[in-house]
Amino acid sequence: MAELVGVYAASHGPMIVRNWGKLTSVEKDSLGSGFSELGKRMRAARPDALIVISPDHWVNFFIDNLPAICVGVGEVHDGPPEPWLTEFPHRSLRGHPALAGHIVRYAHDHDFEPSVSYRLALDHGFCIPLWKAGVDPLPPIVPVVFNDLEPPYPSVKRCFDWGTMLAEAVASYPGNLRVAILATGGLSHSIGEPTMGRIDEAFDRDCILRFERGDPRALIDFLNERLPGAGNGAAEVRNWVAAHGAARGRGFELIRYDPIPDVYVGCGFAAWNIT
Amino acid sequence: MRDYWLSKLFFDLQSAPLAQEYRAGRKKVLDRYPLKPEVRAAVESDDVAYLSALVNPYLLRFYFLMAGMPEEEFLRRIRATTAPVAARTGHG
Repeated sequence: MAELVGVYAASHGPMIVRNWGKLTSVEKDSLGSGFSELGKRMRAARPDALIVISPDHWVNFFIDNLPAICVGVGEVHDGPPEPWLTEFPHRSLRGHPALAGHIVRYAHDHDFEPSVSYRLALDHGFCIPLWKAGVDPLPPIVPVVFNDLEPPYPSVKRCFDWGTMLAEAVASYPGNLRVAILATGGLSHSIGEPTMGRIDEAFDRDCILRFERGDPRALIDFLNERLPGAGNGAAEVRNWVAAHGAARGRGFELIRYDPIPDVYVGCGFAAWNIT
Repeated sequence: MRDYWLSKLFFDLQSAPLAQEYRAGRKKVLDRYPLKPEVRAAVESDDVAYLSALVNPYLLRFYFLMAGMPEEEFLRRIRATTAPVAARTGHG
């Protein structure tokens, strides 16, 4: 049977790459140490396959066809199409069709209905954390796209349940496989709206506290109340909630958090307690 | 609600060749999209506030970056927009 060997979260943001040269040394140190420690822990977990939960930033989907949740089931996925991410070292990334197919079947057998894609383009949301954390060599990836960009979003509770289901699906996979989960995005940020650039540090710290404590009901209630005021980018915290569900709400250890004004994002890194 | 053709224009402009053609001359590209006259006028006049009510904010941000508006100018204009965020983008 497969084993869940790690559950992690990391922020992402184009400015981590596009604006790197203009970041202060303090900002660079914060991001560098967060990604570095995350990568160290991920490598130590020795995953054979990596489930990555991230939004799609208008690369694969548009408003004429916008799935709430999509699982990438193909053998290969394309690397990031963003012109400023040409230094990302992979033009294609191996998928894990067997695990992905099992997850989709398990989901449908348990009242979840993801859409599927046999070839996704994995944008900066997927690739910046993998790259900057030094996850190399990359294990095969099962990408799971959550719609965090365009309302209506999946509910926070549904995202938690999705994570719980993902862990069950992994546990029931009929093969000897070490599987890790990485959720990317968040914490607070605001893009293309009047509050653009605002980081809600108070929200971020309150949010982190609830992830640390575990208690899923308290976390979900908090997010239902506070997420709407934390900027449109904070919708990506849904991916962290799914990771929380996969870790059975046991709570995480914060690796690093800092508001990074030059990347517009409250940047957090975390690893869940899964033992 | 989103304006479909405005959203489609911004989405399509993620294609580098189309973006290049657009930057060289907007009219030919805009003629291929059935934009409402008032929406087209807003595009032609770089009316950030007007367009922000009609399109996803990530696509809005991408568009003005692609079109060459300096970041500081975009920030100044979008921050001057007064429409309630929740009404345009939904929650969270």
